[in-house]
Amino acid sequence: MAFIGKTSVRDNIRLSETPKYPVFRELYTKQKKAVWFPEELNIQQDVLDYKSLTPTEKDLFDSAVGYFASSELLVQNVLGNGFFPVLTDPYAKMSFSTQMFMENIHSDFFEIILNSFDMDRRKVYNITLEDKLLMEKQELIVRAVDRITYGKADPDTLEGKKQILTSILLNNIIQEGLFFYSAFAHFFAMKDTGKMKNVVSGVELILIDESLHLQNGIEAILTIVEENPQIVDDYHFVENIRQTIIDAVELELNYLKTKFGGTTIFGVSYNELEKYMKYIADRRLVELGFDPQFGIDQNPLKFLQKEDVKKLTNFFEVSSTEYTNF
Amino acid sequence: MQRIVIKRDGTVERFQMKKLVDAIFALLEGLDLPDDYEIVFKVAKELDLKIPEKVTTEELDYLVLKAIEHLIPKNFIYDTLATRQLLKIINRRIDKRFNSFKEYLNYAVEEKLLKPELLNFDLENLENAIDYKRDYNLDYFGLSTLKDRYLMKDRNFETIEKPQWFFMRVAMGIGNTEDEVIKIYNKLSNLEYLHSTPTLFNSGTLTNQYSSCYVNVIDDSLDSIMDKAKETAFLAKYAGGVGTDVTRIRATGSKIHSLNAKSSGIIPFIKIFDTIVNAIQQGGRRRSSQVMYLQPWHLDVEAFLDLRETTGNPYFRTPSLNTALWMPDELMRRIKEGEPIYLFDPAECPKLVTAWGEEFKKEYEKCIEKAEKGELNLWKKIDSRDFYKKYLFKLAKTGHPWLTFKDRHNEKNPCPQYSVINSSNLCTEISIPNSPESTAVCTLASVNLAKHIKEDKSDFDWDKLKDTLETMVVALDNILDKNFYPSEESRKNTMDLRPIGIGVMGFHEALIKLGIPYDSEKAVETARKIAKFMRDITYTKSEELAKERGAFPHYYQAKYDYPPRRNAVLLAVAPTASISIIAGTSSSIDNYFSNIFSRDTLSGKFIVINKPLMQQLEEKGLWSEELAEKIKAHQGSIQYIEELEGKIDKSLYKTAYEVSPFRQIDIAAAFQEYIDQAVSKSLYIEEDLRDKMEEIYMYAWEKGLKSTYYCFIDKTVKGEKYTMNVNKRGERRGFGLARKEEKQLEKELEEIERQAREKYGDEVVEAVKSGNIEGCPTDPLLAKICPSCE
Ligand SMILES: [Fe+2]
Ligand SMILES: [Fe+2]
Repeated sequence: MAFIGKTSVRDNIRLSETPKYPVFRELYTKQKKAVWFPEELNIQQDVLDYKSLTPTEKDLFDSAVGYFASSELLVQNVLGNGFFPVLTDPYAKMSFSTQMFMENIHSDFFEIILNSFDMDRRKVYNITLEDKLLMEKQELIVRAVDRITYGKADPDTLEGKKQILTSILLNNIIQEGLFFYSAFAHFFAMKDTGKMKNVVSGVELILIDESLHLQNGIEAILTIVEENPQIVDDYHFVENIRQTIIDAVELELNYLKTKFGGTTIFGVSYNELEKYMKYIADRRLVELGFDPQFGIDQNPLKFLQKEDVKKLTNFFEVSSTEYTNF
Repeated sequence: MQRIVIKRDGTVERFQMKKLVDAIFALLEGLDLPDDYEIVFKVAKELDLKIPEKVTTEELDYLVLKAIEHLIPKNFIYDTLATRQLLKIINRRIDKRFNSFKEYLNYAVEEKLLKPELLNFDLENLENAIDYKRDYNLDYFGLSTLKDRYLMKDRNFETIEKPQWFFMRVAMGIGNTEDEVIKIYNKLSNLEYLHSTPTLFNSGTLTNQYSSCYVNVIDDSLDSIMDKAKETAFLAKYAGGVGTDVTRIRATGSKIHSLNAKSSGIIPFIKIFDTIVNAIQQGGRRRSSQVMYLQPWHLDVEAFLDLRETTGNPYFRTPSLNTALWMPDELMRRIKEGEPIYLFDPAECPKLVTAWGEEFKKEYEKCIEKAEKGELNLWKKIDSRDFYKKYLFKLAKTGHPWLTFKDRHNEKNPCPQYSVINSSNLCTEISIPNSPESTAVCTLASVNLAKHIKEDKSDFDWDKLKDTLETMVVALDNILDKNFYPSEESRKNTMDLRPIGIGVMGFHEALIKLGIPYDSEKAVETARKIAKFMRDITYTKSEELAKERGAFPHYYQAKYDYPPRRNAVLLAVAPTASISIIAGTSSSIDNYFSNIFSRDTLSGKFIVINKPLMQQLEEKGLWSEELAEKIKAHQGSIQYIEELEGKIDKSLYKTAYEVSPFRQIDIAAAFQEYIDQAVSKSLYIEEDLRDKMEEIYMYAWEKGLKSTYYCFIDKTVKGEKYTMNVNKRGERRGFGLARKEEKQLEKELEEIERQAREKYGDEVVEAVKSGNIEGCPTDPLLAKICPSCE
């Protein structure tokens, strides 16, 4: 049976020792090990920090929190309403439902932030409706996905497969792998200046999760393409996919430009972020088999090096993100 | 892009890169560098990207700092540069306010930040002793930490203390005479030893609280619980860590006669302390913390193991508290031999609380007999192996409770006539007799072993080490009489026993300098030799002090067969988490965590590089950016980097997880042989060895450790490598397949060619296709078939 298709509820309920797609067993296990709970972090500790942020810093923080808070369950919706029902492989289902579970945790985490800092709930959740550029980012995904959910795309036809592939691209690659990564940088810049450390410890955990969700997406897309080589015969479709990614970068850059303008926030300037986004986008393109578009092979945000090496926490000072679940 | 600088007075000027470049060159002054241009060029390149259109002068200083900081992992020179830039930022602002150390002191006394008595010293004399060049002893992480948290701030949180002023102010709060002050200043500013964080924070200030740790005991009564809650709140307020023994509190279901009701056990009471600590943690420079100690025969022990779980009923969870087990030998023996463990209610078996060793065994067996005869109301028999397994699982999962050994602590108790030792402290290195009426207090300092190596690196500089250790004994003993005691119980304990705790840091760095691998028998011998030396020197000094100042008062009230000394206990090896950062060395007796790693602290996140490794590689001309990337890609390990094979002694630079946990224990045990209090030892366990945890902790007990501390297990899931390229696609080509499908492209090209021929005729098209035209065609249609446009 193909990776996506129509199945009965009786199908695909048996795990095999030799799964057809072993990578999803691996991704399921990795996600399982990464599970964490917001209660492990002491968000309350950052309240004084939050109060001492300058207006521009606060605005950036609020927007980043708002964007995540109103996107986490959207990511879950896309998977739940559109993708999960057409998955045919039991391990792939486990991997993607674990991702859906993790989005709960993320939502919950931002909910705790919202409550701890006494943020305006309406404003936070409405930011993707009221900020024109943020809305555009989210609309890009919503428009395309709403067209195909609830069985509107037939996974047994080539057209349906292309639609489903596109929705995963928008969700797991563009939303989680581009837009989220942009906001990650804002959070890590905060920690680099010694601010909001416990919140950012949580975001570090989210980064681990999202990098796994990104892999879920890449694996799903590569698998669909491998099983249906006709997809890449359609040159226009392929070009479209590539263009969608590049357009998304453009959208993100517009947003960053208005946020950062000609100044720095948390020690970061627009120029650096532009290069960073292009660097991330190139990597997404390469991961999907495209040639890079921008030719940037070094991450200009050097403080992100700190996310790449082993970490030792001073336990009495900052919530630790290094304990494993089992 | 035209950039502008907004100056401090509000005026605007055009941004000039040249000015900035000159300033960076100025930072390099005095450093003999082969290629300073390249260094400045790299920084300027980083900066160009960072500087926005509008920038203030202050921001510019900060961006220069950040630009340099980001280059630190590439070469050690950037660490020096960043340190100098940060110094420049600190000094410039202070110089605007104070012309001298004396002016600063006067201001700080007036503002009620420092004690007025400091002004009684001959300030001229002290000012002359200050050597600003010693700022260069600090590395960037150390200086950042100092600036962020240790240097004195005014009421508006502006830094008003230069690093050397800080060392001198700390020394002035400790020394009794100017000679003592200068001696202490010299040692501190050369990073030869450092006092613990509370001393560095508060020495010479009106807060006046020098101690790191308090250890109290809660009795089995509501009165006592509430009294200790209040005591804990005050101890925590002054940034002390508190260790608390809760073993006496009766278990769940135990009868309360005065109410004719049943007790709800220890957990709800522990929860009270969780709330207190959490309330006091808000806004502190260092989070106050508490650890609860329980002997594992207590009937509520199973719920105790779950306190740090993050799921389940929040009323039975204590996220702000730490927990530890105070484990008697008899229980370890039962675990080892697979005999069952019995759990009891301390209200019914009160003797178990203070009995230890053979006496505990006898009492425990008596309780078992009673239980089996049906004479006890509350008891439970459990499988000891299951319990041990479950306990270690919790330790790996939640980091708690730590494992400490009741009988090891008590058999070395120098003052058994005073009291038993009821528990250890927050970092498990304290071992001082205490009771509900007497709260143990310990004031700590740690010698930096890496600064006590002979010039030729042949051996430790034993004379210098002796001198430092003697200075430390005097300094710590001085502190006991200057210290503020937040409770009567804590004053009493100190005035009876005068305990101090001298520990170490930089052990691994020292080993590297001496060419001894940490994971070797030689390292164990070295540990033993150092510990014995520390014991001999400090005891002799304390005995000398006793002649001058008298022995600890309890000594005269009891009969002990050792000569009078000033302090009941003198040695304790603390984790030195923060002060080893200031000293820029490996912490405590631990191995370097990794050769490159990041550290999360209250001051933010920093990249730490194993400096001795970097220096050695640089000396041999092996250091390069590519190598740095390779080490990063290997998670900080150099063991599998082929190009270093045979070039350096790799075994010197194992990461913490690469050192056998059994060796880690051997080294701690070697120190423990001579350390009169305890050695706080975290264990680093490679995930593959996780199945051996039972064996590892059994070994720790058998080797005679008094305490273990955190258990780190290497986590295998990491985030996407942010700055390195990872190919997730593998061999698959994904959309790359599309480009190989050129048929479609060809078809499109044919179509274009057809249209072009229609429009321009065959001649033009042929000319374009063969490239025989001048320049490329501007027509989009023709451009698509032009070979040089492709
Ligand atoms: Fe998420
Ligand atoms: Fe996600």
